[in-house]
Amino acid sequence: MYIIQLLFIVSNMFQDSTEIIPIDTLSKVYSDKWITTVNQGEGFFASFMSSNNLIFVVLGVTLIIWTVLIVYLTRVDKRITMLENQLNHSSNEA
Amino acid sequence: MNLWKYLIIVWMSLVIIGGFLIQIPFIPVLEQTARNLFFHVPMWMAMYTMFLISFYHSINYLRKANWSDDIKAQAAAQTGFIFGICGLMTGSLWARFTWGTWWTFAEPKMNLAALALMIYVAYFMLRSAFDEPKKRARITAVYNIFAVSTIPFLLYVVPRQLTSLHPGADGNPAFSEITAAELRFILYPAMVGFIALSCWVYNITYRAYRVKYISEQTIRNPL
Repeated sequence: MYIIQLLFIVSNMFQDSTEIIPIDTLSKVYSDKWITTVNQGEGFFASFMSSNNLIFVVLGVTLIIWTVLIVYLTRVDKRITMLENQLNHSSNEA
Repeated sequence: MNLWKYLIIVWMSLVIIGGFLIQIPFIPVLEQTARNLFFHVPMWMAMYTMFLISFYHSINYLRKANWSDDIKAQAAAQTGFIFGICGLMTGSLWARFTWGTWWTFAEPKMNLAALALMIYVAYFMLRSAFDEPKKRARITAVYNIFAVSTIPFLLYVVPRQLTSLHPGADGNPAFSEITAAELRFILYPAMVGFIALSCWVYNITYRAYRVKYISEQTIRNPL
């Protein structure tokens, strides 16, 4: 029960409750109008990110970089551990 | 751990603190996200640096056929790819709250950057397709030289000819014209810092591949 409720809340967080007018990005160039296309939406996620002059967007960007680097480093670390085990194993046999 | 790695830790900590704390001029629409300049742009600079290193080692491999050059080229390409992914994801988040969308096909730089990363995905797939190390090294070195040579066209030449939301493109003022001096006090140290950080990541990746190569050799031909 709680899990379903939680999922509902999380999925609502990422949904903008106000309708974002779809922008035709394939056939039209809209760079001259992009100031007017800003629609931050009113979902929790969107309103949180756009509060305080958008400073949380910067926080999000740093967290993305941090996460990607950490995940990558963990993977390399695991690979090295595996190789070390292999090396120890083969030197024990010899 | 070498001294330069400790220097990177201190340097990058200062860059991040400075990036969040300095006073920046008010820019409409961008507002505080102008600070992303310190994090998003250096990702691409780090990627270019890594791809250049990879290019250099691929050429060196074709000249001298040293196995270490092949591994260095692979490690550098992989590190550059990681930073490219960071650049794409940070750019996408930034775009959501300034341009109003996670992804737009009207933006050539965004799409061509994704294309450039696809070319590198093909490089890694190509690497995994060969069993014989020498054949793999030679063919992927040739492919890598092709892959790197597309980067300047995809990310500099073509986007400048098209209408783009990025600065420096047709119809938009160039970076040098619109970037306030205050932002540069952090931007340039951030570029140096992130490039140095990418060198560190590259160093670790290279060592992992080197150990792997050596262990494979010793298992195949025990001493």
